[in-house]
Amino acid sequence: MEKDKDISPSTFSIRSAPKALVLTGFGLNCDWETTHALELAGAEAHRVHINQLVMGEEIGARARLEDYQIFAFIGGFSWGDDHGAGVIFASKLLYNIGEDILRFIEEGNLVIGICNGFQAMVNVGLLPGFDGDYRSRTVALIGNDCGSFRDQWVHLKVETGSPCVFTRGLEHLELPVRHGEGKFYAEESVIKDLEEKHQVVVRYADSDGNLANGSYPENPNGSMNDIAGVCDSTGRVFGLMPHPEAYNHWTNHPNWTLFKERYRRGGEPYPQEGYGIQIFRNAVDYFK
Amino acid sequence: MVARLEITLKPELFDAEGEAIRRKARDYFNIQLDEVRTIHVLTIDAQLSQEQLESARLQIFTNPVSQISSFKPLAPPFDWAIWIGFRPGVRDNPGSTAVEAMEDLFKIRFQPGESVYTSRLYLLKGKILGRDKRGYRLVERIAKELLANDLIQQWRTYSAEEWNPQEGIGIIVPKVRLAHEPTVSTLPISSDEELQALSQERNLALHPNDVPVIRSYFLRPEVRAARSEVGLSDPTDVELEYISQARSDHCNHNTFQGKFYYRDLGTGETEVVDNIFKTCIQAPTLELKERKGWVVSVLWDNAGVASFDQDTYYVITGETHNSPSNMEAYGGALTGIVGVYRDPMGTGKGSRLIAGTYGYCVGYRDYRGPLKPHLHPRRLLDGVIEGVRDGGNKSGIPTPYGQVFFDHGYMGKCLVFVTALGIMPATVSGTPSEKKTTTAGDLIIMCGGRVGKDGIHGVTASSEIYSEDTPAGHVQIGDPYTQKKMHDFLLEARDRGLIAFITDNGGGGLSSSIGESARFSKGALVELDKVPLKYEGLDLWEIWVSESQERMTVAIKPEDLKRFMQLSEKHEVESTVIGQYTDSGRLHIAYHGETCAYVDLALLESGFPQWEFEAEWVEPEHRGLREPVLSPPDNQRRILLTMLSRPNIASKEWIVRQYDHEVQGTSVVKHLVGAERDVPNDGVVLRPRLESLRGLATAQALNPTYSRIDAYHMTACTIDETVRRLLAVGGSLEHLGGVDNFCWPNIQYDPESNPDGKLKAAQLVRANWALRDYCLGFGIPLLSGKDSMYVDGNLEGDFGERHKVSGLETLQFTGTSVIEDVQRCLTMEAKVPGDFLYVLGVTRNELAGSEYYDLYGYTGLNVPQVKLEEVLPLYQTLEQSTRGEILASVHGIYRGGLGVHLALVAMAGGLGLEVELAKVPAEGVKRDDILLYSESAGRFIVTVAPEDRAEFEEKFKGLPWGCVGMVTENKKLTIRGLEGKVLLNVGLRQLKTAWKKPFGKL
Repeated sequence: MEKDKDISPSTFSIRSAPKALVLTGFGLNCDWETTHALELAGAEAHRVHINQLVMGEEIGARARLEDYQIFAFIGGFSWGDDHGAGVIFASKLLYNIGEDILRFIEEGNLVIGICNGFQAMVNVGLLPGFDGDYRSRTVALIGNDCGSFRDQWVHLKVETGSPCVFTRGLEHLELPVRHGEGKFYAEESVIKDLEEKHQVVVRYADSDGNLANGSYPENPNGSMNDIAGVCDSTGRVFGLMPHPEAYNHWTNHPNWTLFKERYRRGGEPYPQEGYGIQIFRNAVDYFK
Repeated sequence: MVARLEITLKPELFDAEGEAIRRKARDYFNIQLDEVRTIHVLTIDAQLSQEQLESARLQIFTNPVSQISSFKPLAPPFDWAIWIGFRPGVRDNPGSTAVEAMEDLFKIRFQPGESVYTSRLYLLKGKILGRDKRGYRLVERIAKELLANDLIQQWRTYSAEEWNPQEGIGIIVPKVRLAHEPTVSTLPISSDEELQALSQERNLALHPNDVPVIRSYFLRPEVRAARSEVGLSDPTDVELEYISQARSDHCNHNTFQGKFYYRDLGTGETEVVDNIFKTCIQAPTLELKERKGWVVSVLWDNAGVASFDQDTYYVITGETHNSPSNMEAYGGALTGIVGVYRDPMGTGKGSRLIAGTYGYCVGYRDYRGPLKPHLHPRRLLDGVIEGVRDGGNKSGIPTPYGQVFFDHGYMGKCLVFVTALGIMPATVSGTPSEKKTTTAGDLIIMCGGRVGKDGIHGVTASSEIYSEDTPAGHVQIGDPYTQKKMHDFLLEARDRGLIAFITDNGGGGLSSSIGESARFSKGALVELDKVPLKYEGLDLWEIWVSESQERMTVAIKPEDLKRFMQLSEKHEVESTVIGQYTDSGRLHIAYHGETCAYVDLALLESGFPQWEFEAEWVEPEHRGLREPVLSPPDNQRRILLTMLSRPNIASKEWIVRQYDHEVQGTSVVKHLVGAERDVPNDGVVLRPRLESLRGLATAQALNPTYSRIDAYHMTACTIDETVRRLLAVGGSLEHLGGVDNFCWPNIQYDPESNPDGKLKAAQLVRANWALRDYCLGFGIPLLSGKDSMYVDGNLEGDFGERHKVSGLETLQFTGTSVIEDVQRCLTMEAKVPGDFLYVLGVTRNELAGSEYYDLYGYTGLNVPQVKLEEVLPLYQTLEQSTRGEILASVHGIYRGGLGVHLALVAMAGGLGLEVELAKVPAEGVKRDDILLYSESAGRFIVTVAPEDRAEFEEKFKGLPWGCVGMVTENKKLTIRGLEGKVLLNVGLRQLKTAWKKPFGKL
């Protein structure tokens, strides 16, 4: 069960499954469930420590980004989130393997950043990635307006016009947010560009699917224009604050026992999978 | 050179951190500020060029989108400013990560003595803040009572006039400088009195009865002969510190292993209760282990181990961190949760952490009386909440459950319970994971953090605290980041079969971890000069007993060293070989080749006398307790709303939401459930193996007010409540694991300082009798447990006098159960209109210690009692019904009674309930208020779909149940009294408003 996925690749993956690299180490912490979600979606996922990309042979366990098609920047508290969430995470990647990551994107692969991973991606400049510029920092994720870390489920409205590969076919999602620094902030002109170029992918909404319009707690952190996630111009690089990997099973949902009661009385089967998996399945399907 | 970098949000951006402080100043002290803004300060004390500093500023520490920064002061105009930084030697986590980031960016290593110190500057604006004395007093109050704790922090205040815009705060470097050559001293022991005096002087806390044993050991001719061969004569300070640590109540549980002379003053009967640990905890648990194959490893390791499924175990333990949290709430609680996480990491060959839970007992948040605790309960609770939040969240471990209890008694000392759950494969490299041992020749490795003066003898340290650069070591701040790296590293090492033995460094530091692990191999040789230090100047005994956090002691085979160190490097965790296990029979400690300790391990295993206590039990009626003379209230509606807004009943959502309870993706039943996801469920369920449908349920209870009557029934009710909480989510009676955490006031009688010590001792004995009786009765092996005594404080009053305030006798009980298929789990909210509403179990006139009596200021006499023969058949049937999936919701009736818990079921469902009290199964109850607020044990509220009704009632035939009403669509709680008249009819909105009144805005 707790076998090291980087030395013994999953046995139940199919030959054609795309390989996914899930970053670990330095306080990142959503590695097991992100790996699980990717595997449920059909990928062959490996947990890889950041130093396997950075140090390589010195520690006798080199990993190479070029062996993968999906790169997951996962959630956690990298470097304790000191000096700003995802700040040191970003500098570690940028100044050690920045070129490798750019090449990975240019070669047509997929990148997803979740929570701390999303924070790191905007700090590197991988997002919003306007027109192939993956080096400019133009957006920030700053302290929640409520002043504290907050764990709650949110409703997300998916922008169907966005090129995002990961949200294809999705219109509405419920996922948990768990962060202290998730307020999406940028200058008005940048927000305008993002919207005009359809790079806003998911926004906080109410239970009827209407935009939160900044109201708390539907918009849990005060994000500008309710933005919860954005992608680059190609739609292959995607980052969001909510956690799709935490909705990997239908019993993750806060109201599943009520749903169950309805299924049971209606004689319907239980759904098993959580809706968050669809995000990862879209990534896997992209390579089919 | 030293540089000071200031970073702040762009002026046009909302400063949420500053706003939180503005709000607190208003809510706590009624100080109306217009604005608070914060500046983060990094003081970089290292040989870096201007270019390097500038590059660090731009490339790491400044977000160009949201922040501005400068090596010059940034402060815009303000009325007053407050600077707050750490005292020397206090753990500065962001300072360390700043060093790490710069080392990576420049590919350099910071030299010894070089460092980065973080601090904050708060800029206050407000009309109220005059530049006069009054303004200064307000600012001083904000600094001292809101922002800084003088045990770990220093502060400075600046009025606008005083501020020098060129210099700003100047350069403040809180560096530890100890101009001290490490020494080892020999201590004379010519008489017992001399050794006792030495113990006092050096704060060794040796028990007077231990002194002759220790002395006679060092006087034995064969011991002296052996010692002289290694150059030692009288004991050294290292040796006495080691013995003192090993004999401390914390490490040795002398109280629970003590002898109690128990006298019942009513009957005049006397009984000698020898060793409550053995008779009430160990014996029942071993008996149950025989019967229950799922109990894997108990009573010896850092945590208990039980079977989760065929090839996986779960691991659990619970701790308290009361005294440190009472002094420095944030640091104490943070250190507590991070510390308890090391216990499962150090259990067997190591487990992966899967959850943590909390229990806080504190004084009332709105206390306005004359007593002056070190921290006001409101501030203390805020700090404790935040400490556990950062400790849990930054460790990547969900905090899915917890409880809070307010009582005046906890003003003397607060209680902070922290519980940890882990999981491990049943076998590691083909060997049983729960087993471990050290063997002569194994290397002793210390992993994780470095050693400083942390946690060494609180009292000695506090006498040094106010000097300029001595470390404020006795109050600690945990470092979850370093520990998370170590956790990931050690699990990888475990899976590669590299770990022979592992244990954590907690209380007693290396002294405990090596002292205890050396008992397996029967000896150890430790080279103290190899131990990596935070700063120079520690005496040898300090290195040996330091409680610096985030460290594990690991035994590995010499041939595995290279692989182990390579993994350590991969995870950037410091690991150092500091000695070797031997079979010499001795603990041998050397420093640069010179022996400084040489003690027979056998010394600690025999010959020490038991502690002794006098215990006197007086039945509650002979202590003057009576039922109050109280007529039923006229306004039942207002009573219910008042009950809901009492602090011990009211919503505490603000705490739950700050804790990441879903990381690891395992959450099944969350703590907050219902239509609006804001009502606490009975227990929580995790699915720790994501590929499996199997679940682990956990829940906790505490009922300290029942101790006012009898701690026996307090314990019984607390265990019963835990069992019901587990059953309510779908747990099974066959698998109930328990963890007992006792927190008790001092039980050592003293006519002046502890006049009721004998009663408190009797209460402890009685509580343990109940623990034995009910664990056997319910079949709960105690997987782990701890005790923390001395929950007392001496608080200053209005006139400079001091009052002793003792905490209530408290047991927190934690339960676990394994659930075969999580899809059968249940939650407490009413789900579908038209469902039938049932009450299971008997309500009696049992209001003593209840929330209802407390509302009027009464204690009462009729404490709730648990009748095993009555409740067990009911629980068995409930479990069968859960398995059969014929229930829509289950909720236990706990503190506050039926009235409160019906309201919770309705509020959670967002649905109405129509209830007839006449249908509630009861015995000897003829009053509506007693029926509504009695806290009788063994009861549930259940809802059932109409189509399942017949099957349900058939199953429960012969048991105490009543169909008391219906779930309705009308969003009202309507209760008819015993005479059939409508007693109250309240809308859900009103109920919820009342329930969220005290803490809803936090």
